[in-house]
Amino acid sequence: MATNINWRTINIDALDPDSSTNFDLTTLTPAVQPISTAEVQTLSGQIRTLVRGGNAEGALMGALENAPYGADDQGKALHLGVVTEVLGQIRQAEMTPILQRIYQSDNGSELCDTLMKYLYKGMGQGHPATNSTSRNMTPQSTGFTQAGGRNFGGGEGGGQAMSVLLSWHEKLVEMVGPGSIVRVMSDRRTV
Amino acid sequence: MLLLDYQNVLIESILRDRLAPDAAPTSIDQIASDFDNVTFHISTPQAKTKILVSIAVKCWKELVSYGAQAVLEREYGPYIVQPEQGYDFSVEVDLENLPASPEEREDLVRRVSLLKRNAMAAPFEQAFDEFASLQEQAAQYSSEAAPQGVREGGAVRAIHYREEEAIFIKASHDRVTVIFSTIFREETDRIYGKIFLQEFVDARKRGVQNAPQVLFRDDPPLELQGQPGLSAKKGEVGYITFVLFPRHLTAQRREEVISHIQTFRDYFHYHIKASKAYIHSRMRRRTADFLQVLRRARPEAEEKERKTASGRTFRVQG
Amino acid sequence: MSQSLRPYLACVRQTLTAALSLSDFASQTSERHNVPEIEAASSPEVLLNPLTVSRNQEERVLVEPSINSVRVSIRIKQADEIEHILVHKFTRFLTQRAEAFFILRRKPVPGYDISFLITNFHTEDMLKHKLVDFIIQFMEEVDKEISEMKLFLNARARFVAESFLTPFD
Repeated sequence: MATNINWRTINIDALDPDSSTNFDLTTLTPAVQPISTAEVQTLSGQIRTLVRGGNAEGALMGALENAPYGADDQGKALHLGVVTEVLGQIRQAEMTPILQRIYQSDNGSELCDTLMKYLYKGMGQGHPATNSTSRNMTPQSTGFTQAGGRNFGGGEGGGQAMSVLLSWHEKLVEMVGPGSIVRVMSDRRTV
Repeated sequence: MLLLDYQNVLIESILRDRLAPDAAPTSIDQIASDFDNVTFHISTPQAKTKILVSIAVKCWKELVSYGAQAVLEREYGPYIVQPEQGYDFSVEVDLENLPASPEEREDLVRRVSLLKRNAMAAPFEQAFDEFASLQEQAAQYSSEAAPQGVREGGAVRAIHYREEEAIFIKASHDRVTVIFSTIFREETDRIYGKIFLQEFVDARKRGVQNAPQVLFRDDPPLELQGQPGLSAKKGEVGYITFVLFPRHLTAQRREEVISHIQTFRDYFHYHIKASKAYIHSRMRRRTADFLQVLRRARPEAEEKERKTASGRTFRVQG
Repeated sequence: MSQSLRPYLACVRQTLTAALSLSDFASQTSERHNVPEIEAASSPEVLLNPLTVSRNQEERVLVEPSINSVRVSIRIKQADEIEHILVHKFTRFLTQRAEAFFILRRKPVPGYDISFLITNFHTEDMLKHKLVDFIIQFMEEVDKEISEMKLFLNARARFVAESFLTPFD
């Protein structure tokens, strides 16, 4: 076994504790409170109640104010689901007034950044790299091998949800400018 | 240029030159190629006035077994000579012993240049004849009572005319089925081929109602069950079936139909290649457009004027 | 332009404009080297959060920013086998000419059809907004080109088939 190791391909930087490759990212991440999935669940229940009560704006505010930065992947996915649901409930014409009110509230810029994070995260769903195994290799009766791995025909899937996110994005950028996008890229607190 | 010619153009032009009334006899030694790995040799081995045209066909043995000799004797009768070394069949045209009228000469040129077509036509003619006799027999029975042989039609005639490709011909009492097996060397050819074939299939629905029915699939059709040498590998091979109906098999149309269907494989692949070439040139053009757009991103290098301390200007030498 | 294409391209444009804020940055792992950090991935603190803009399941853009380089990957719409092979051929044709395109990556990121790698050196000697224009225009034209090629192929196939079969008629 040991003789099979190709010494040239070993990344020695990864083994060196002082190397920049092993930079401890947690020192850059602001301290966030860990939140359990159960708590996120409760929160989403409350938000859904607000939406059902017709208060989509309040629901959106609540969801953005209480973004669970400290939750694990499952909790974050749960919250993302709630946020996209709320976004989908709001009609095209109401988007800009709601955004304006959020922006002008206390801490409005922060909330808008959080919303931007959710917009990008929402569009990143069903990422080809993450579920590559499931969508790959649907054996085609035509014996089409070399290029495989595309699900033809299902291409328009998710188009509706995406166009909601895209129009939110457009309206949000119009108001807060590209700086918000830069903050999404650089903020280590991910949603 | 859309349809392929049936005759070999090189042979045609050489012979026409030589057979012209005022042409001086010269020695010729020319090898010409045709589709499907067919090679011709046109030469004057004995005298400048005796032109020998020989043909080498990969599937000669098969063609002979389907009666090629008889067909060629019918076509070339007195001109046939002993086959040249390395070739399968030869005809000799003696310039000093030509038919008198220009029409007859022209007909001779045409016939010789159709050498490949005539050689390949034998199995088709045989199948068409078989169809005629089967049809006659079938007319005597109702469809249930027909004996086995009449109902199922004749044996499959296979012509392995290329390395890995073949034509199969089968006569029945109401049709003649011609199946081409063809290889797609690469993925792109296969997909382009599929588009083309789909249009062949659909053409009958649109306008060309009396055309033969065309079917295609990538595994051997039922007619070919039990044929030796069929590639088991899926994907690369395609099978294209033409169903010729009685209206195509009448004596008047026979010659034209045989000539035309022979060119199918080459016609088909020729247009696949042509489409690829066109798509390629399109991509080239589009790429140039993209480069143009990208070039706009580079700011114009400004011609800077610099001054020395004394106020004189000079140019930086590029 | 189709109804959903405009917001999609607008979003890509905004995202790229934001992501193309690059500065010179020497490698921390090897002295006197200056490499695109997004490719080297040797210093996690200079890599930023990747962003995805998508129009639907099959059309998306992945923007992976870092301190001195941005990797932009595009997934082009492919509705069927023909479009797939055409996209494959076209992107291959382009990547083989990557030298001329400066910002084109020779190999796309897995899951995407074509990738661009823009470094601080590119943004220094080219106009940033024009680079963004280029990518947007590329996305627009590539779809158009693919569907035109497909239409051509079908038209030609039809013509060829009818010409061959007409003599039998």
